[in-house]
Amino acid sequence: MVTFRWTILLAAVLFTAGFLVNACKKSGAPAAPPTTPLTFTVPDGWPQPLYNFEGNPITKEGFELGKKLFYDGILSKDGNFPCASCHQQFAAFATFDHPLSHGFDNQFTLRNAPGLFNMVWLPAMHWDGGINHIEVQPLAPITAPNEMAEDIANVVKKLQQHPEYPNHFKAAFGDATVTSERMLKALTQFVGMMVSANSKYDKVKRGELSFTADEQKGYEIFQAKCASCHTEPLFTDNSYRNTGLPLDPVLKDYGRMRITGNSADSLKFKVPSLRNLYLTFPYGHDGRFYAVRDVLDHYSHGVQDGPTVDPLVKNKIPLSDADKFYLQYFLRTLTDSTFIADKRFGPPQ
Amino acid sequence: MNAMRNCFIGLALVVASLTSCQKEYKEPAPDHAFSVRFRPVVQETDNILEFGKTYTNFFNEPFEVRTFKFYVHDIKLINTENGYTFSVGKDEHFLVDAADTIGSRIDVKVPTATYNRISFKIGVDSVRNFSGAQTGALDPALGMFWTWNSGYIMAKLEGNSPVTGQPSDVFEYHIGGFKAPDNVVQQVSLPFPSPITLRKDAETEIIIAADVYRWFNGVHDIRLDTNPVVMSPGPLAKKVSENYANMFTVLHFISYL
Repeated sequence: MVTFRWTILLAAVLFTAGFLVNACKKSGAPAAPPTTPLTFTVPDGWPQPLYNFEGNPITKEGFELGKKLFYDGILSKDGNFPCASCHQQFAAFATFDHPLSHGFDNQFTLRNAPGLFNMVWLPAMHWDGGINHIEVQPLAPITAPNEMAEDIANVVKKLQQHPEYPNHFKAAFGDATVTSERMLKALTQFVGMMVSANSKYDKVKRGELSFTADEQKGYEIFQAKCASCHTEPLFTDNSYRNTGLPLDPVLKDYGRMRITGNSADSLKFKVPSLRNLYLTFPYGHDGRFYAVRDVLDHYSHGVQDGPTVDPLVKNKIPLSDADKFYLQYFLRTLTDSTFIADKRFGPPQ
Repeated sequence: MNAMRNCFIGLALVVASLTSCQKEYKEPAPDHAFSVRFRPVVQETDNILEFGKTYTNFFNEPFEVRTFKFYVHDIKLINTENGYTFSVGKDEHFLVDAADTIGSRIDVKVPTATYNRISFKIGVDSVRNFSGAQTGALDPALGMFWTWNSGYIMAKLEGNSPVTGQPSDVFEYHIGGFKAPDNVVQQVSLPFPSPITLRKDAETEIIIAADVYRWFNGVHDIRLDTNPVVMSPGPLAKKVSENYANMFTVLHFISYL
């Protein structure tokens, strides 16, 4: 009987608590439709990501909205340049076979479009590291006059007036108001979920497969001569380095110096990941190398010295023809064919 | 006993929910409507800036203004006599746009008390420059965000002058940068002409002149012929910010009953 009375009291207390909690909320707003949470999984043995979706919980609705936005030309001025025009899934979300990508009004981009994967581990985005947070990255291509050539406020307006988008925003964020913040967070949910961790290399690391003798030799050469910058498991240390590429006289791209204004950063560019290397050709910040072999030849005898050239490549990297042969066998094991076939990241059905 | 423990958890919930309703303001309650209205002026505090009208700066360079905007945050009302300070909060950001009368007014709530000074920061708190997508005054759609080099444009002055040598004679000062040593966030502290005691049941507006003339000189010489364009963080942007940090003067108060 005593227990029973306590139970009634408990119920009353909880009811009151619930009432008080509700009293804090703004009144009059209709209940938000429920969302379906999605889980982000960190591959075994990988570091914790730098972006952990705190403040932007991943939901099926947000992810799907992000996907729709990613594949929709509405984000560009003339409707022809969705994110996906330069970031193609079959090229691991780089631009296939293009040194520079194409943007608005028959213009080239300044730099080679990088593949998009494992983005949440990046401390900064772009070849010069100018973007300090994954959520604000899309603002750069959307507003660049030679890329999507749009205006943020105008994109928000177009989405708000669209027959379908307000409903998708409602499903993802609780009401139909389109804001740049919501648009960017949805895009981040989609792009942030792109994890590429199922190459042959990964399978070997997980003990599911083993390297061939040639791949194993290549891996050992890689660890000895490449891994100090292309650090495993992400295959980049995210530093900025001048690898001795002479300045292109037309592009006049000084890289990191554009961001820091520091002459010590002249001609430095972010170390790119080598994952999916064979899908993302051409190579280099301006795509000047068409084949992996060209890049290896650059390091063995092409490096042009200069005041900011990295000490690790200043005297070139001694690579024999045999080394290059084996390295290419190893580098091919970094291709993740499941990632480029993953329907979650393909165009909306 | 189990039920009893559950009940305590319930009581704790009630207490927690009550606490969560309370705002973290100091006493007394900030129930007084207080507005800060920035009056854009040129050289004299009664010479109100007109967009498109030609003025002359300290170096006799003619100029006209098309855009004049700046961020304000960390507003404090201070009484230096008794040491009392009311802080609106570091997180509240306001974008002041001289082009419209609503946009040049900041509305906050403060406690009724006597104050003799106002302080605020010009710019966007450094943390907010690397916090990802934001909304409200910090919405990048407002055109005050550098898309290629993440960070906010903390103050913007644009217009024309025949001496710039730029296409269409434009000058553009987009002042930003949140990293040392080129952090352009400037602390401003302004005394009132005389202390003001805010009245209960009244609304108070403080009128502060913001003088575009001071962008060009004062601490540093910024000439339109030699520096018509400032568009990235760095020592030059920092100099401009040190100039405009001195552009404010408290003019007077208006009380509405």
